[in-house]
Amino acid sequence: MSTMGADLSDDELLAALKRAVAERNAVPPDFIEAAQAAFAWHNIDAELAQLTYDSLQDTESASATRAEAASIRALTFTSARLTIELEVAHDALVGQIVPAQPAAITVVPRTGAEVTVEADDIGCFSIEPIPLGQFRLRCQTAADVEALTGWITL
Amino acid sequence: MRDDPSVIALVTRVCGGDHEAWNEIIDRYAPLVWAICNRYQLSRQDIDDAAQGVWVMLVEHISQLREPAALPGWIATTARNECLRMLRTASRYDLSGQPTEDLMPPDPDDRAVDEDLLEAELNISLRAAFAEFAELAPDCHKLLTMLITDPPPTYAEVSGALGMPVGSIGPTRSRCLSRLRRSPHLAAFLSGHAGAVQARKTGR
Repeated sequence: MSTMGADLSDDELLAALKRAVAERNAVPPDFIEAAQAAFAWHNIDAELAQLTYDSLQDTESASATRAEAASIRALTFTSARLTIELEVAHDALVGQIVPAQPAAITVVPRTGAEVTVEADDIGCFSIEPIPLGQFRLRCQTAADVEALTGWITL
Repeated sequence: MRDDPSVIALVTRVCGGDHEAWNEIIDRYAPLVWAICNRYQLSRQDIDDAAQGVWVMLVEHISQLREPAALPGWIATTARNECLRMLRTASRYDLSGQPTEDLMPPDPDDRAVDEDLLEAELNISLRAAFAEFAELAPDCHKLLTMLITDPPPTYAEVSGALGMPVGSIGPTRSRCLSRLRRSPHLAAFLSGHAGAVQARKTGR
């Protein structure tokens, strides 16, 4: 096969350079800044709770390739020491942590403010209203176990 | 996909907690993600959300990438999936806010991922080679910077701006492009990768 060097004329090379530079210049600065800021999620301390059950997984082949950001009605996240079960009720996201124990459950959205609710003695909690957009749950138990779910879209 | 050693080095550094290396990955691949997201008719906010999905997943899973050299492909595929997720989420609710049947919208983007990747890697290499010119060959950097502005300037305008006789612009342009072609950043493309992009573009 002949090489690009031989194939690409001066005009073609200049046009390619123009496209390459234009492609970079078209990206808004705040798009770059937001991407750089995502580094904050590197090496978080909490145990990651993986999605282990998703009631809609079978019906959404596309999201099945995505381990953690499925669209669901009932789902289960499991970390080394905790299981978090969730169900979408009429107007609330209800859940229970197993083993049953009190805990602080925090909704961590992609953007916007976090909201924390308490799980009671048997680990039950209710989040109202149902979070919009993508979020994850951070669970901090009284015994100081911290788990973080994958991203959830309801 | 070629095994770009610089990609592997960047991934390794990010795994070790190097924020600068992360920023370099963003600098290289944000244009690819931006270009992909803009092919789906998404609002700017949905584009931002899709892109954030890509970067958060990447930073969380980067240490589990089996082949760091496959990073560009991972980014392109994940960007498409995230855009489709945004479309799917948008189509799930009708105007009254009620859930509709959970149908997967067709992918409006019929470009092959391979095609995106070839072009992205050529563009990344061209930008890297060109950025080096700022120090290695400042006269070439100035001239080429002018020549790629839109709309293209006349030789008279170039001559006025750079204090270069009109008659020497053509030969200098040719010398600078030859030098760009010889840049080590473009070495990987000299053996056919960009030739494939070029062939596709020109239908050869």
